[in-house]
Amino acid sequence: MLTLTIFLTSCSGIKQLEIFKQEVPRANLNLDKPTPLQLENLKWIIITSENAEEVFKKLEEQGIDPVLWGLTDKDFELLAKNFARIRNQLKITNDLLEEYKEYYEPKEKKND
Amino acid sequence: MRLFLIGIIITSLLGAGAYVIKLQKDNGILKANAEKLESAIGEQKQLIENQKKDFTEILNANKKMNDLVNVLKKDLTDLDKRFNKKNRDVGKLAIQRTESIERITNGASALATRCIEIASGSPLTEEEKNATKKSEINSECPSIANPNYISY
Repeated sequence: MLTLTIFLTSCSGIKQLEIFKQEVPRANLNLDKPTPLQLENLKWIIITSENAEEVFKKLEEQGIDPVLWGLTDKDFELLAKNFARIRNQLKITNDLLEEYKEYYEPKEKKND
Repeated sequence: MRLFLIGIIITSLLGAGAYVIKLQKDNGILKANAEKLESAIGEQKQLIENQKKDFTEILNANKKMNDLVNVLKKDLTDLDKRFNKKNRDVGKLAIQRTESIERITNGASALATRCIEIASGSPLTEEEKNATKKSEINSECPSIANPNYISY
């Protein structure tokens, strides 16, 4: 009877806990940032009905083809605003990229 | 009969010994389990701390982006004002003062070009960084070109 008790109690032993942990950090993307733009300055020429002849004459004197692409004052305003919008979008996209990089690939890793 | 009794006593002693050994072994396992649980609790606490930090970073990044969008909107509104302030008609002005408007247009165009370079990631020059006066700033995009300028 006693032997049987000993055998039975031995069978219902406490199991040892096993905690598995495997952390493999994802490799950083590390893409180079795009090279900032270096733009050329362009020259605007204002032509009115009064100075048109003089403007074309000057162009010819400077050896430039006497031809101009024109915009009305309203279209010039729209062009300026369009460029400002493109610039803003570029800035937002660039900063957004920076924030993502800083969040997911910080220079100093947290809790290393 | 005597042998039988001795047998029972020996068996009982062996059983008791085995039971004590088993108890000691269980005790060891329980201690190890308790240590593992404590370490797991520590790791969970650390995880919660990290999540808190991440959450703060997310909030900060959102705020930064919202602030940026707002200052850029202001630059756009200012540009609109420059064209239409007090019912200003740039076309008429250009007819009246052709040369000076041409000069202003070319100056603003050069500044706007620089704004695009900055927006694309070009580093700010010392002059741009240190500009604090209206006469020193890039009037086309002071919010991104002149971090130390406070509008007045």
